Amino acid sequence: MYVQLVVTGLALGSMYGLVALGYHITWATSRTMNFSQGYAVMAGAVVAYAVFVALGWPFPLALAITLAALACYGALVERIAVRPFFLRASPAWLLATIAVGIIAENVAQLTFGKDARAFPSPLMQKPIIVGSAGFYPQELLVPVVGLTLMGLVQLFYHRTSYGKQLKAVAWNPEAAGLMGINIPRAVMTSYALSAILAGVAGVLLAPLLNVAPQMGTIIGLKAFAVAIIGGLTSAPGIVIAGLGYGLVEAFTAGYISTRAREIVGFALVILVLIVRPWGLLGEKPSRRV
Amino acid sequence: MIDKLGWTLLATGAAAMPLITSNTYYLYVAISVGLLTIVTAGLNVLVGFTGQTSLGHAGLYAFGAYTAALCVTRAGMGEWAAIAAAIAVTSVVGAAVAAAALRVSGPYLAMVTIAFGLIVEGVLIEWGSVTGGPGGIFNIPKPALRTHYWTVMLAVALALWLTANLRRSAWGRAFLAVKSSDVAAESLGLSSYYVRIAAFTVSAAFTGAAGALFTFLNGYISPDSFTLQTSILFLLALLFGGLGRVAGPVAGSLALTIMPELLTSLLDYRLILYGTLLLVSIYWLPEGVIGKVSKARRPGSRTPSPDPLPLPGRGSKTSSPRRAKGRGEGQPHGPLLTAEGVSLSFGGVLALADADVAVDGGSIHAVIGPNGAGKTTLVNVLSGYYAPDSGRLALRGRRIDGLPPYAIARLGVARTFQTAQVFGGLSAKENVAVGVAGPRLGSVLGALAGTPGARAREAAIRARAQALLEALGLGDAAEEPAESLAAGLRRKLEIARALATDPLLLMLDEPAAGLSPAEITALDEQLTALRDEGGPAVILVEHHMDLVMAVSDRITVLDYGRVIADGAPEAVRGDPAVIEAYLGSAS
Amino acid sequence: MRRISVILSIVLAAALSAPGPARAQSKEPVKIGLSAAVSGGSAASGEAIKRGLQIAIDEVNAKGGVLGGRKLELVIRDDEGNPQKGVTIARELVEREKVAAVFGGLHTTVALAQVPVWQELKTPYMGAWAAGTNITRNGKTPNYVFRVSANDDYVDRFLSRYAIEVLKKGKPGLLLENTPWGQSNETGLTKWFGEKGVKAVGVERFNWNDPDMSPQLLRLKNAGADHIVLVANAPEGAQVLRSKAKLGWDTAMISHWGISGGRFAELTGDLSEGVTFLQTYTFLGRQNERGQYVLKMLREKYGVKEPSDVIAPVGTANAYDGLHLVALAIEQAGSTDGTKVREALENLKGEYKGLIKTYKRPFTSEQHDALTDEDYVMVVWKGGKIVPVNMK
Repeated sequence: MYVQLVVTGLALGSMYGLVALGYHITWATSRTMNFSQGYAVMAGAVVAYAVFVALGWPFPLALAITLAALACYGALVERIAVRPFFLRASPAWLLATIAVGIIAENVAQLTFGKDARAFPSPLMQKPIIVGSAGFYPQELLVPVVGLTLMGLVQLFYHRTSYGKQLKAVAWNPEAAGLMGINIPRAVMTSYALSAILAGVAGVLLAPLLNVAPQMGTIIGLKAFAVAIIGGLTSAPGIVIAGLGYGLVEAFTAGYISTRAREIVGFALVILVLIVRPWGLLGEKPSRRV
Repeated sequence: MIDKLGWTLLATGAAAMPLITSNTYYLYVAISVGLLTIVTAGLNVLVGFTGQTSLGHAGLYAFGAYTAALCVTRAGMGEWAAIAAAIAVTSVVGAAVAAAALRVSGPYLAMVTIAFGLIVEGVLIEWGSVTGGPGGIFNIPKPALRTHYWTVMLAVALALWLTANLRRSAWGRAFLAVKSSDVAAESLGLSSYYVRIAAFTVSAAFTGAAGALFTFLNGYISPDSFTLQTSILFLLALLFGGLGRVAGPVAGSLALTIMPELLTSLLDYRLILYGTLLLVSIYWLPEGVIGKVSKARRPGSRTPSPDPLPLPGRGSKTSSPRRAKGRGEGQPHGPLLTAEGVSLSFGGVLALADADVAVDGGSIHAVIGPNGAGKTTLVNVLSGYYAPDSGRLALRGRRIDGLPPYAIARLGVARTFQTAQVFGGLSAKENVAVGVAGPRLGSVLGALAGTPGARAREAAIRARAQALLEALGLGDAAEEPAESLAAGLRRKLEIARALATDPLLLMLDEPAAGLSPAEITALDEQLTALRDEGGPAVILVEHHMDLVMAVSDRITVLDYGRVIADGAPEAVRGDPAVIEAYLGSAS
Repeated sequence: MRRISVILSIVLAAALSAPGPARAQSKEPVKIGLSAAVSGGSAASGEAIKRGLQIAIDEVNAKGGVLGGRKLELVIRDDEGNPQKGVTIARELVEREKVAAVFGGLHTTVALAQVPVWQELKTPYMGAWAAGTNITRNGKTPNYVFRVSANDDYVDRFLSRYAIEVLKKGKPGLLLENTPWGQSNETGLTKWFGEKGVKAVGVERFNWNDPDMSPQLLRLKNAGADHIVLVANAPEGAQVLRSKAKLGWDTAMISHWGISGGRFAELTGDLSEGVTFLQTYTFLGRQNERGQYVLKMLREKYGVKEPSDVIAPVGTANAYDGLHLVALAIEQAGSTDGTKVREALENLKGEYKGLIKTYKRPFTSEQHDALTDEDYVMVVWKGGKIVPVNMK
């Protein structure tokens, strides 16, 4: 049981972390977030399904198309739901991004249908059984890819100059602009990138969870919780929080009950915020007086 | 006139409905509208007035509903007792959630409220022995539909009336002040944390009442009615109807309940419509349907005529602002505020280095220095917005370092800001009224009910506010929205508001910036008059040397965070260090 | 609040007094309502019921309708699986659309919430799917709630009998979804296993959209379960099977009908092999006349090519028979008055050779379920196909 839960926990946790990183990326650049990240996860799975399963095209091509589509989705969200409000310094982007997500879900229902569909993967055929525990190879692939991607994102932001530029925008938009950084483009890029991460999570999870229009909502919420626990400004915090959250969930479900999993998880969020209001590794926003 | 006509028509229509039709479907829909109105009226207090977003109100709704259900089914209470219990329980829960949640803001706050809502939903499902689990609670004795209709309509009327009262009260102003600029609100002695908690609790009470009434609608409740979607619906109804407006909840609830009923043929596209509606309301109706309509209806929308020169002698009084008897009276002229060895760095930058300042009661003490010298930082430290890394601050001998801004304000320190922080959404008079009341807001219940005692206090506050405005030459602008005033007037408003707190010490951060020479002269006269009539001590951060030299009793000069000179104007004027700091070295 | 309130009042008045959809001049149609989840996760079930109803309605109308030439007309409302919406819809269908009877969908919670409304407004309700025992056994007299579908109490007797008498197993592990439907079955299974002196070794629950049930299965395995009784819908059922395969636990599994909805075969692939579950009807294998007719109509109207392509077949079958019974009752009652139709249903004369079975006095004042465990069939997944199982 123990091993079982650890694997499950890490798999899910790394996905929460990956999606949560998406929240962090846009926050780091514009102090806004795509509240419809969950729907982006679903979009990734749905588009991949459409190309790979329905059309029968080869997987690498399907993946490429999916990522491109997700980048467009992210840019679209930014353009419709965030940019007008970012420029007005208004917090309405919160609800606007939720609205876009709701629309996306309905569009998916109309085009994809309402039934859950299977996403075939060679890694879901035979489970690996170790003692009394078993897992599908896909469940191992997930954290491996997840952590690798998270590491790459970190490198991008810390080592490449474009990455640093993106971070600069949030710190001081005027200065960044004066330094020649195209702010609207930077924000849009951050949204596209964040959607891509969510899309990858969707593709990785599709064989495990089945593809359905409502598959992403709860993931988006939990990833948000993870981002908050870790601290919106801290990528390492988010990665750790993601894995931690996944493990807590798995062990709660394993040893207590499944619904308790949600309760414990969200109670954890509140507790962390009481003790460390800006997340485990987050920074307190300075109040400009 | 038209307002009253509109409300009367609506009320008559609502009252008459069960007499006109016995169609239970219509009654049912009307009750649903009513319940949503009550919830959104409460949510309006939180989101509209106070500016805090909650995505977890379905959880509070559940508390109201389940408390009422359990009171009736397990404790055998009657309907009214159950409703009262529901309100009480939900208010307590709301206050607790608020205390935890409102330490943070923005998405952090949103997450806490979401988490709360989801936890409640989960507990409702899991704790079967109490809540009936996923199946919920059945067979709750309920009143006849018609009777219930009257009850709900009465509750709606009550909810709207209470929120209207609240808006007009000191609490209402406090909510709006905290929403508009919590920084400025704190400078007047208001703890934004507690004000927000109060707003949350009020909204919880309303939501709890609506939840109880919901239980008695169907006689059956289950966790399906208390999901995140429900919370989003609440917010959407409020947004669409009009945030911050008393009528907003009515319009929004009507629209959102009736539209799905009218559009039953489009059920496949329900979510798209829902989402689009949300976007539309955010994009094009930032003030909701009500806001849009009322803007259109205002004939010749009064764009305030910018009158930047209320010069003295133009009919406006410029005598010194009358200060009430109180703290300012007969101050001993010894050191009032002392700062010793204050240092503060931001990251690697040393903003203040070992600064010492001593301000005497009843004096005008200027703080000058080149740009970036740390003048505003010093003011921020003295007023409690920044905590110094080291040093001691004392007011009348009592240590004040580490105190939050509102606590220092309550001890008698008032201030203005470099960019005037007037409260948008309030008139000039209401702005000053916030200063007059400060933290003394009276009881929330009194504000809601509009008791005679509360109303008498209100009248006194308004009278004082008007007097202060007149004293600063703003009497004519009393009813104007503060954000529509020209910059110079806004600054005066800020000063009037700061003086309203009857401070021992008034800190002015660049009050002369952007004023015309004539206005600066007027300011000069006002400051001098203030001092001469025994008003508060003044710390004046300024760049206008003429003004500084003319009014100051003492000047402190900062450069790179250090005090490089401190003394009488003439001494400072001739000090070589000062000259070098401003002009660079001589050779 | 300026004139907006005046405008709103006027709009409201106009909307409320707006007449319903235009009616034909000569003979007013008899409306039949459907309250089901047409959107969301269970939408396939709503679609299946709708098809069954429509095929039966067209059949009745082709033969001249009811009450001397009045045609039947279907009015559909989406209850979104939400009980409160269900109650609003119930009132709307009766008070505004003036339906003669209403058919119900998949969700037990919605059906339960609607019961008081049918009683209050004296309109007969015919459940076509939701199996919660208390829907029809609601303690009300007179009872306006009928059902042509499974009743969890009978289902649990059926399943427990199968486990004990046919599989010859005595240590059930119960795995149920955490909903009122799951609750209803937990009660039933405990009762009927108990009648035979058998107690479940464990009762585990899971939620909708859960990806992994390994902890629950592991606990059941460790408790010594020799078979699993599953109450789940297709997506969750699929995840249960995947988790079970992960654990390498090869044990018998019998299930309620939830896994017949959705695309269970597609989701599980080989793993479905041997999973046994009940149906009220199956379109696979030999069909009677009615069955052939319905399949033909499904092909012509809805493009369903093979019997195995029929989505959520029980919904279609239940609704089809249910509609015919209601039409017969209306004819017998000689009116659309709710009380009379109810009485007619409880005293239905003659014989109706239906799809699922031949109905002879299917309802009485005490019995409001037309089908009992005598009528259920057990089927099993073999090679990706559903085949009937011999109960003996």
